[in-house]
Amino acid sequence: MKSIKLLAVFTALMLVFAACTSDDSGDATTTEADGGGDGGTDTTEGDDVDLTQTDTLADVRAAGQIVCGVNDGLPGFGVVDADGNYDGFDVDFCRVVAAGVLGDADAVEYRPLTAEARFTALQAGEIDLLIRNTTWTATRDGQEGANFLFTTFYDGQGMMVPASTGFTTLEDLADANICVLSGTTTELNLTSVFNARGIPFNPVVFEDNSQLRPAYEEGQCEGWTSDASQLAAFKSAIEGEGGDDQFIMAEIISKEPLGPVVADGDTNWAQAVEWSVMATVQAWEFGLDSSNIGSYSGDNPNILNFVGSDNFDPGLGLAPDFAVQVVEQVGNYKEIFDRHIPAIGLQLEGSPNNIWTEGGLMYVPPYR
Amino acid sequence: MTTTRERDLARPPLWRDVRVLRVLGQVGAVLVVFLIFRWLVGNLLTNLSRLGISTSFDFLFGPTNFQIPYASEFNPRAEVWQATLVGVKNTFLAGFFGIILASVVGLIVGVSRLSENWLVSRIATVYVEFFRNIPPLVVIIFFGAAVFTNGPFPLLRESWELNWFGTDNAFLLINNDRWGVPGFAGTGELGLFWLIVGIGVVVGAVVWRWRTKAFDATGQPHHRVLWFLGVVVAFFVVGYLATGQPFEMSWPALSENRRRIDGGFEVNWGFMSVTIALGLYTASHIGEILRGSILAVHTGQSEAANALALTAFQRYRFVVLPQAMRIALPPTINQYLNLVKNTSLGTAVGFADLTAFTKTSIGNGRPAFQSILIMMAIYLSFSLVISLILNILNRRLQLVTR
Amino acid sequence: MTTLIEPETTSAPPIHERNAWEWIKHNLFPNWWSGLVTIVLLPILLYMAYRALRFFFVTGQWEAVEVNLALFMQGTFPRDEQWRLIAQILTFALAFGIGAGTASASARDRAEDASLAHERGSLTDTLKRMWSMIAFIVLLLVFATTHDPGSPISPFLVVFGAVLAGYVGYQARRLPRRLRNLGWLLTLVLLVVGFQVVSGFDSGGWLPLGIILGSAAYSVVPVERFESRWLRLLVRLAAAAVVVLVIRAVYGAIDSTGIGWDEWSGLHLTLLVSAIAIVLAFPLGLLLALARRSTLPALRYMSTVYIEVIRGVPLITLLFMGQFIIGFMVPAGTELSDVTRAIVAMTAFAAAYIAEIVRGGLQALPSGQTEAGQALGLAPPTIMRRIVLPQALRAVIPAMVGQFISLFKDSSLLFIIGIVEFLGVRRIIHAQEAFRGVGIAETLVFVALGYWAFAFAMSRESQRLERRLRVSR
Repeated sequence: MKSIKLLAVFTALMLVFAACTSDDSGDATTTEADGGGDGGTDTTEGDDVDLTQTDTLADVRAAGQIVCGVNDGLPGFGVVDADGNYDGFDVDFCRVVAAGVLGDADAVEYRPLTAEARFTALQAGEIDLLIRNTTWTATRDGQEGANFLFTTFYDGQGMMVPASTGFTTLEDLADANICVLSGTTTELNLTSVFNARGIPFNPVVFEDNSQLRPAYEEGQCEGWTSDASQLAAFKSAIEGEGGDDQFIMAEIISKEPLGPVVADGDTNWAQAVEWSVMATVQAWEFGLDSSNIGSYSGDNPNILNFVGSDNFDPGLGLAPDFAVQVVEQVGNYKEIFDRHIPAIGLQLEGSPNNIWTEGGLMYVPPYR
Repeated sequence: MTTTRERDLARPPLWRDVRVLRVLGQVGAVLVVFLIFRWLVGNLLTNLSRLGISTSFDFLFGPTNFQIPYASEFNPRAEVWQATLVGVKNTFLAGFFGIILASVVGLIVGVSRLSENWLVSRIATVYVEFFRNIPPLVVIIFFGAAVFTNGPFPLLRESWELNWFGTDNAFLLINNDRWGVPGFAGTGELGLFWLIVGIGVVVGAVVWRWRTKAFDATGQPHHRVLWFLGVVVAFFVVGYLATGQPFEMSWPALSENRRRIDGGFEVNWGFMSVTIALGLYTASHIGEILRGSILAVHTGQSEAANALALTAFQRYRFVVLPQAMRIALPPTINQYLNLVKNTSLGTAVGFADLTAFTKTSIGNGRPAFQSILIMMAIYLSFSLVISLILNILNRRLQLVTR
Repeated sequence: MTTLIEPETTSAPPIHERNAWEWIKHNLFPNWWSGLVTIVLLPILLYMAYRALRFFFVTGQWEAVEVNLALFMQGTFPRDEQWRLIAQILTFALAFGIGAGTASASARDRAEDASLAHERGSLTDTLKRMWSMIAFIVLLLVFATTHDPGSPISPFLVVFGAVLAGYVGYQARRLPRRLRNLGWLLTLVLLVVGFQVVSGFDSGGWLPLGIILGSAAYSVVPVERFESRWLRLLVRLAAAAVVVLVIRAVYGAIDSTGIGWDEWSGLHLTLLVSAIAIVLAFPLGLLLALARRSTLPALRYMSTVYIEVIRGVPLITLLFMGQFIIGFMVPAGTELSDVTRAIVAMTAFAAAYIAEIVRGGLQALPSGQTEAGQALGLAPPTIMRRIVLPQALRAVIPAMVGQFISLFKDSSLLFIIGIVEFLGVRRIIHAQEAFRGVGIAETLVFVALGYWAFAFAMSRESQRLERRLRVSR
């Protein structure tokens, strides 16, 4: 029968593939490359040499814009307005990098990405930079070939329940339905925390918040777990639209450091991105913001270096005045934060995202 | 012999010999395809190894680490292949029940479109034109949202309970999350019992053949379906009693904390959304196929049936539908296949099918290439098995009716 | 009866004008059970109609759609390049007009050749076929008026311009007969130009027009006065080469980049991505179909395996392939955007289905056609090219439209892999501060209506084509 034959052929193909890959998998990766791509060995080696020397910084300069992977459906961090413009905390950091590297904050092409595909996009070189509320984890740093840079937002996974239920601990949610977005670390954290405590639960997994929120509001899920910033955003949205009062449990079940990510193996680019991002914090520390950085007239040598007034160049591949471009065009960290985050119901004071002098975690190496 | 000489003469030069050209052409084509394939796979393996991404299937034996929705019996520490099986099971169930629903509704719609009642045929037309022209994904999302999440049903903890007549046992628990229906719980010698039932099915088949032969020989009504069912039911009852009541009805009931359904069988909203949405969507296609097939049956057949004073039901059941079925079967098989493939869209309503599982799995760091290959192989075998079964059915149908 | 009716005395049977009451009796209550069904269905239907109307006009919060109408239509397409979209709409309208006019004229030509009466499709027929699309456009205009998007050009003006362009194009039916092929050529050229108005006339974009105009030059250049076959071929090739070179030079001179499909989204992307995929898939599908019908077993096997494997898996798995794998299947450093990879996946998918459709067309062709060709001593490729394919491809046009509809619907799957097409716009909208929980049902209904309007109109068109082909055969 035709279909049986076909099945046999396909199975055979699968087996052949499985055989030729799993044999090699234990060995050094180079043999695998040779085994798999004899036909292209010449080009392969050429490419390898090229790739260790990938110069994203030069590529970006040549292209005149950076391609930034973002989220297009995350309140406060990445949203698109009715005119099709990207906006949000993460989006602003794309602009920060564009201003720092290219001197033009608008030289960004945004690529909306799903949670599942973000690292693939980075590995395949489709995007230069990923700023999509991505949690820094060891596996991602290792397996996914991602290079996590300066954390721009310290978040943590929390649990929200309707205030009327009176639930205060995770144990109150035994056997309950818990709403969660798919393809994120949130799902793993949820499972590991509930399992470790022996609490049975049922995850209800959604593709995006436009489906999740109604399910939560209609009571199909008794709890909603996500990054605390997101919960805050939806808490204020629900309450602001006349919905029930919401309660976010005090317990934070995970650490979620979010920040920009670049592909492994291009140190120059990573440094350029990292220092552009850190410039926002440094400016804040110096008390510089978008209104006064251009006209700085003091004589603090550190600040003079920072604004590049005497062409100080630490050799990062950035223009001497990159910090001025960043802060003038986008703002310092506090300005960026205040533009997006209080609107979703979180304050800077008392949060880890405050500057280190105020007891927060925003601490950058000196620019000198 | 002279013929050899003639053949030698007739043989064209090598480069114009059709037989040689044919072989060369095939070798060339295979070579080209092989080279393209090798180039693609070679690039892939090179790139993956450059990025340090694993190409082994060992991940299948690592822990899953996330809980599968509506699979409380699943332990997140279980290995990935076991989790894949849960996804396969869900895909299979959705496809199976979707096909049944689509067939039933499709039959109703197809016949309704030809109804002499203006209202009925109009409703059927609107139904067909509506569902046929909307993406199934939109239909699924709509069902998930409008019927369950925001629909008329109560919360799980306030489930409506429909009690079995005169008892306290609920035979249906209705809410917006998961419905409970009665199931069976094994208590004893289930293996022996199923063995007896299996023997019953075999005996039933023998009886079926005997009735068919009797019918062929004498022309007496065969009633073979009734006979078959009778035999199976008899074995069922005897086996049930003989093995000492190996199972009992298990009635669904809300748990103490009203967050679980204990007992019975549980169907979740994602499953129902996918099954109903795809059932209704596919029914619009099947309805059109059936309508076309019914119209394709020669009018003379209907007229002959009328001349024999058959009722409208008899005319359909014994004259028109059997012939229409023969025409309708191949395109209907295609629709069934589409339905099974479309269950992959259930991921949009949180239905934990194979696709949703693979997607989550990739999102949590499992190697994408192998995961997708496995997923494709499973869908492919589903499709091939269905088309195999239905092709056999098709052949039988065509043969029997000559 | 013994009375014979004389032919002269016969008259037309009396036309019985049914009054409303009889109509109801006949159509709603023909017998008792049918009447029962009517009685049961009618209140349900009325209630549903009431609920639907109430939703549309009273309870529905359509603000989410009104405010974001531009987002639904063009997504994140740069607003300062909006003129490109308007130019595209107008060019496409002109192209469709010319195409429709030429099609209508050539139908008239064929009827004249066969000395049959030709009934020109009336405007009302066209409007009836397209009513769903027209209704959707009216809906869009209504939404556009209730909220001012601040667009420089009124949507009304665009619609008016498109109608006008279509009407002007339709006048192509008045062209003399020998210019019929010019009409088709113009349609193709305008479609390409309309596409490139948005994607840009960069120096690499000469290829489609080069192929179209080059092959046009190849076939129209007068070669009758040359005796030698080879010389004719040479002249034809030279003419094609000259045209291609000229086009290349023109593109090289213009060389203006536009907005590539990576930056398209919304309904614009949905419509074009399915069109691109089906256009790219057609040659591939044709080859696959020919290979599957070939007498060479190796070709047949390979084509069969490809077709059956692709048809045996859901599109979403291929899109996943596109999202996660295809990017790695090209040498490192080659970057394929997400839309490109989705198009690759959709093309690979559609090719298998088109192959089956074309195979159906080839199989349906009576073998007498091939045999007649053989009797004339034609070579197999010539038989295929001159006799079999033209007839088979003509016969499968309706099925191809059907495949396009299905691909159009399937493009909604791009939503799952995170591409912001028509359905995906909802995700964006409900992340906006104002609409985080507002109008979720309304946007879904709007999207469903949009898909429905286009798919329904196209399926009507496909039915008409099918009827026309059946008649003209």
